[in-house]
Amino acid sequence: MKSEALLEVKNLKTWFYTRRGIVKAVNGVDFTLSRGECLCLVGESGCGKSVTALSLLRLFDSPPGKIVEGEIVYRSIDLVTCSLDKLRQIRGKDIAMVFQNAQSALNPIFTIGDQIIEQINTHLDLSHEQALEKARTLLDKMRIPEVDRALKQYPHQMSGGMKQRAMIAMSLSCDPCILIADEPTTAVDVTIRAQIMNILQELKRGREMSIIFITHDLSLVREIGDRAAVIYGGRVIEIAPVERIMNEPAHPYTRGLISCLPDVSSDATRLPSIEGNTPNPIDMPSGCPFHPRCNSVMDVCRSVLPEITNILDVHAVACHLYSGSGK
Amino acid sequence: MTEANIPILRRITSPFYGNRRLLGYYWERLKKNKLSLIGLGFIIFLALVGIFGPLFTQDPTKADLGMSNLPPLGLSRQESIYNIKTDDFTTKIIEGSPAHPLGTDSKGRDMLAMLVSGARISLFVGLLATGIAIFLGTFLGVLSAYLGGWVDNVLMRFTDIMMTFPFFLLLVLIVFIFGPSLAIIVLVIGLTGWTGAARLIRSEALSLRTRDFITASKALGASDTRVIFKHLIPNVISLVIVMATLSIPGVIMAEASLSFIGLGDPTSTSWGTILNAGQHSLETAWWVAVEPGIMLFLTVLSFNFFGDGLRDAFDPKASI
Repeated sequence: MKSEALLEVKNLKTWFYTRRGIVKAVNGVDFTLSRGECLCLVGESGCGKSVTALSLLRLFDSPPGKIVEGEIVYRSIDLVTCSLDKLRQIRGKDIAMVFQNAQSALNPIFTIGDQIIEQINTHLDLSHEQALEKARTLLDKMRIPEVDRALKQYPHQMSGGMKQRAMIAMSLSCDPCILIADEPTTAVDVTIRAQIMNILQELKRGREMSIIFITHDLSLVREIGDRAAVIYGGRVIEIAPVERIMNEPAHPYTRGLISCLPDVSSDATRLPSIEGNTPNPIDMPSGCPFHPRCNSVMDVCRSVLPEITNILDVHAVACHLYSGSGK
Repeated sequence: MTEANIPILRRITSPFYGNRRLLGYYWERLKKNKLSLIGLGFIIFLALVGIFGPLFTQDPTKADLGMSNLPPLGLSRQESIYNIKTDDFTTKIIEGSPAHPLGTDSKGRDMLAMLVSGARISLFVGLLATGIAIFLGTFLGVLSAYLGGWVDNVLMRFTDIMMTFPFFLLLVLIVFIFGPSLAIIVLVIGLTGWTGAARLIRSEALSLRTRDFITASKALGASDTRVIFKHLIPNVISLVIVMATLSIPGVIMAEASLSFIGLGDPTSTSWGTILNAGQHSLETAWWVAVEPGIMLFLTVLSFNFFGDGLRDAFDPKASI
């Protein structure tokens, strides 16, 4: 594993100040991303993975959202404190984002061509013809058939998969070095999912692009991820290479997740599941947020928040089972 | 960074393939609504009359007392003249003359010329005041929705205050203070008429603001101005057009009402002025009041029909 960190997130906390209380959507996320690496953020719905992604580019609504603590260091620029102008130049050009639902992430009243060209014009100083040519190449790389026709189409005239690929093409228009993909395959069917995963694989290998891939689908993690960070209650609770997470999960929650994966070789008729629900982000359980659902819960878990500690060079866990304080 | 290098028009109206096909689509939908086509036809006719009509008609202010109260061509009216010597009434029949096809008023002014002049004033006031109002409304509405927070609060409370003013009273008051002139009337109607538009545009923009494509364009580095001009405003423009069309009749009526109560621009002949003159001679020359009335009626109806048609054409859910 190359160790040169391209993006470093330290103790990121994004809170939303709502009428019902403070929603601690992201409450202490740490990770690093190296060049050409694909880091998967895994977790249940509402665990804070999407807000983490939005926080990286400060895209959440503010107010009510606010990054209360932490650093996001990209090429020695802190994206939390840098000016909005500076950030705007980084958005799309260095760090691009692909959204979950391409249907709503494209402007319904402009053609795909218009939108891609607009995106190119935001950051690059190209003539109209050059931009058009670039848009054509981009769509072509996304394996969109009849590129010239696609350029003239409005979003509603395209299929979901085409739209998702057009979205990816748009986000790649300025050759970003980090691509944040927020569940890019949730809204498409399996064949399109396979195509999109292939495209992402190619980007990673061909362009040495770093990808932050957000998903709740562990099979996709296995397919594309180099490392995976499991998020629970707004915190990274385990981070390790994908192989290791899959084979030797350390945190009880991760173990639970992995055991929920269907196994074709077993005869079991019911899939195991984790009891209980994700914690309410306004009213987090004391101590370790997972303790009410944990099957190896100890006394200390109820009162003390476990720090994330390395159990191997590449494997870190936030659980009292490994910190030694439980024994 | 490179944004400054792109001409502003190119940024707002995209040149690429244009939206011609989309316009064609709307036109196809509009065409199916016959009433709105008739409305559009009358509006175009009125505009042509307003622009070119004065070149062909007489001077609308030229009075000729010898030709007073001439009926429209093809009609006649009886006038009783008291003869003091015979102490008797003689009845004279007055026929319409081809020189004044729509008749004359009590001062002998040509009705056709006055109506044409009125069309010009009505359209001028209607379009300009609506333009100001809708521009302000769109701008404030989008700004309010996009910025949110205390800006939204301040702007919307200001809108509330503006809405509570009795509009016509304000108009009368300001015209009374500053003196009646067309510019004042246009300005007052424009500067007070934006409230409804602002409310409507704000609510539309609010729902647009949370849509993914706005976040997506920000994620790809778009600035606030770009998001507003490129993504928010184009998405509300159909609403703006419909609203503008439907609010023109109100403005035209407001101007006519002002003129009718004698607070219109005294140097110009508007339909309201003619109506005012006509009400005194309803018994002898009913056409003086009826003709501008019909024009007002048709104009307001046309704009309403056309606006309705536009609204249906722009609404993808409306079945036409």
